[in-house]
Amino acid sequence: MKFPSAIGKRNTTPQSHGPAGEDIEGLQKIVIVGNPNVGKSLLFNRLTGIYVTVSNYPGTTVTVDKGRCKINGRDFGVIDLPGMYSLIPITEEERVAKLMLLEERPKTVLHVIDAKNLERMLPLTLQLIEAGLPVILVINMMDEAEELGISIDFNDLEGKLGIPVVPIIATAGKGIDQLIGKIDQYVPILDKFQTSYQKGIESSIKEIESFLKNSYPISKRSVSLLLLQEDEDMQRLVKQKEGKDYDQIDGILKKTSRKYGYPLNYIIKIRLQNEVRKITSSSLAAGPLKTAGFKERLSRVMINPITGIPILIAILYLGLYQFVGVLGAGKLVNLIEGTIFGEKINPVITKFVMSNVPYRPIQDLIVGEYGIITLGITYAVAIILPIVGTFFLVFSVIEDSGYLPRLSMLVDRVFKKIGLSGRAVIPMVLGLGCSTMATMVTRTQETKRERVISTLLLALAVPCSAQLGVIFAILAGHPLALFIWFVVVLLNFILIGFLAARILSGEKPSFYMELPPLRLPKISNVLIKTYSRMVWYFKEVFPIFIVVSVLIWISQLTGVLRVITNGLEPVVNLIGLPDETARVFLFGFFRRDYGAAGLYSMQNSLTGMQLTVAAVILTLFVPCIAQFMMMIKERGIKTAVLIFAFVLFFAFGVGFVLNQALVALGLQL
Amino acid sequence: MKCVFCGYEFSEKEGVGACKGCPMAKCDMIKCPNCGYETLPEPKLVKFFKRWLKSYGN
Repeated sequence: MKFPSAIGKRNTTPQSHGPAGEDIEGLQKIVIVGNPNVGKSLLFNRLTGIYVTVSNYPGTTVTVDKGRCKINGRDFGVIDLPGMYSLIPITEEERVAKLMLLEERPKTVLHVIDAKNLERMLPLTLQLIEAGLPVILVINMMDEAEELGISIDFNDLEGKLGIPVVPIIATAGKGIDQLIGKIDQYVPILDKFQTSYQKGIESSIKEIESFLKNSYPISKRSVSLLLLQEDEDMQRLVKQKEGKDYDQIDGILKKTSRKYGYPLNYIIKIRLQNEVRKITSSSLAAGPLKTAGFKERLSRVMINPITGIPILIAILYLGLYQFVGVLGAGKLVNLIEGTIFGEKINPVITKFVMSNVPYRPIQDLIVGEYGIITLGITYAVAIILPIVGTFFLVFSVIEDSGYLPRLSMLVDRVFKKIGLSGRAVIPMVLGLGCSTMATMVTRTQETKRERVISTLLLALAVPCSAQLGVIFAILAGHPLALFIWFVVVLLNFILIGFLAARILSGEKPSFYMELPPLRLPKISNVLIKTYSRMVWYFKEVFPIFIVVSVLIWISQLTGVLRVITNGLEPVVNLIGLPDETARVFLFGFFRRDYGAAGLYSMQNSLTGMQLTVAAVILTLFVPCIAQFMMMIKERGIKTAVLIFAFVLFFAFGVGFVLNQALVALGLQL
Repeated sequence: MKCVFCGYEFSEKEGVGACKGCPMAKCDMIKCPNCGYETLPEPKLVKFFKRWLKSYGN
């Protein structure tokens, strides 16, 4: 059977690279599939010897190797397909591999995977099983995996997947005899693993299956899944086979797609990945390394709590406090805001506007107390940009070094106590850059409970980079104050997470991840990343800061600003802060970094104790408008409003208690 | 491209696809289809210079 092809009409003649150009027509086929660089070609050579033909897939430049092998006296055709990651192709090679896999109706499909990267490659195994193909899982590079201390329970894996699993070392020819034996004796097993998807997707699969009246080269369930993932080849085939009935199938596809925020191929991929994690949780173990190099030793030291926590503190101290806080938010901001904007740019523009613009309100809009230039642009360019710039530089170094996945492993145990897992490091770390984006990323958490808890913690206790930099800068001269701020925010993070985990019922998360190797960051990569992040941030911040300046100018003109700050003043007075800080919290609601910049500009008029209390409240204070909107979208209006109200009262409550405690203790900060 | 968090290799196209449902899709972020970690693609200016350097080298 051939798929209706959308590939060009060019049909190249097979090129024979072997001495005798193998013709495998009419033979039963053994097809080898797998990711690139997993040893497929080596296995192919082991099975076929040197008698090989290399031909182009019709209409493409993609080459396919074909050969013969004899098993128990019978001849088989062997096909080595181009590398593929998934049944949903992205590259031409992957598409050819998928088409051939489906067209050849193989006797056996050998899915070759790298033993070192089991978790990354098993989703394709699940797809092949789902397709009803006669799969044997071939785990290659066992020697390298053992070197890394990885051990695999093959019986457990075989039992869970319901297919034969054969470990091999293709380079040494080990395990090939056992594999040949399994091919020879292969009997399709009925009790194979089946991935279960979300209810909505499962019911759509069933609906689509009911319209598939004709026969297909793979299971109808797999056909339905490929259709849901918008696989164009399958759409063409089903259209051709089912004729008018395809319109009804199309209706189901559209209806299902509308139900989900993400494309269905993404949702299905995540589900497959989660299933793989469950399978490997008992089949895979990382034991002691036989020969651990420096990077491996460093990696283990970073994950071990006894050594990992001091390393984390050192990274926070040097990277965030010294580089972002002292250098970025301190010296650079002093230079840009104090000297360049304060003494050069702003006075010149102010003088020009005052002498050329006759109307006072317009003067105020441009260069007034809340003016576009004197407040909006000054905050965005002179205060926030140097801070986020230095933060992004440090962050790019940390990211490129491969430290983040190790941080996940390090905090996994603590995060489990607060209903999360090491996977939650992703939104938490991204939250340091932008909490709005991070709130969206909470979707990738495994359970609903995790998603709600991480949304709450992002809204409450994860400061954005600009906030963090400003806080480091204004508390840099008060080490005890900085320590108190850190402890209070950390305790709140753990306490609220712990309580939320007790209150919210739901599945407990599991977490397993392969650790990519540690790397020495490349300077060029780090600079490019920092540049692209700064451009991104600036593009996002600049217009918002100007809009906020205009909004504040309007509210000042209409008197609304006075009414709101008047309402907030008694609250801030109650926690020992002066009236002016009400304005900072109001700014913080528009954008967290706007509020941070406001606090920075009034730091000289506050005492150490007031700065500490203000920094704690500003960190815990309600999410900005954009984050709040995202919370509504992600968690629903009820949960979002509840979190908002809780955070609002909690932040000021903590500020009040902290102020009382500091006064009672008589600490000089 | 390679995810800096989990090491998963994927194409820019595959990553961008994961962000279709997001109201902030204009942020240009690319999400890793394996772990959800987000990162920015190489800026156009950098791509332009790389192409230019390559053609200059040729």
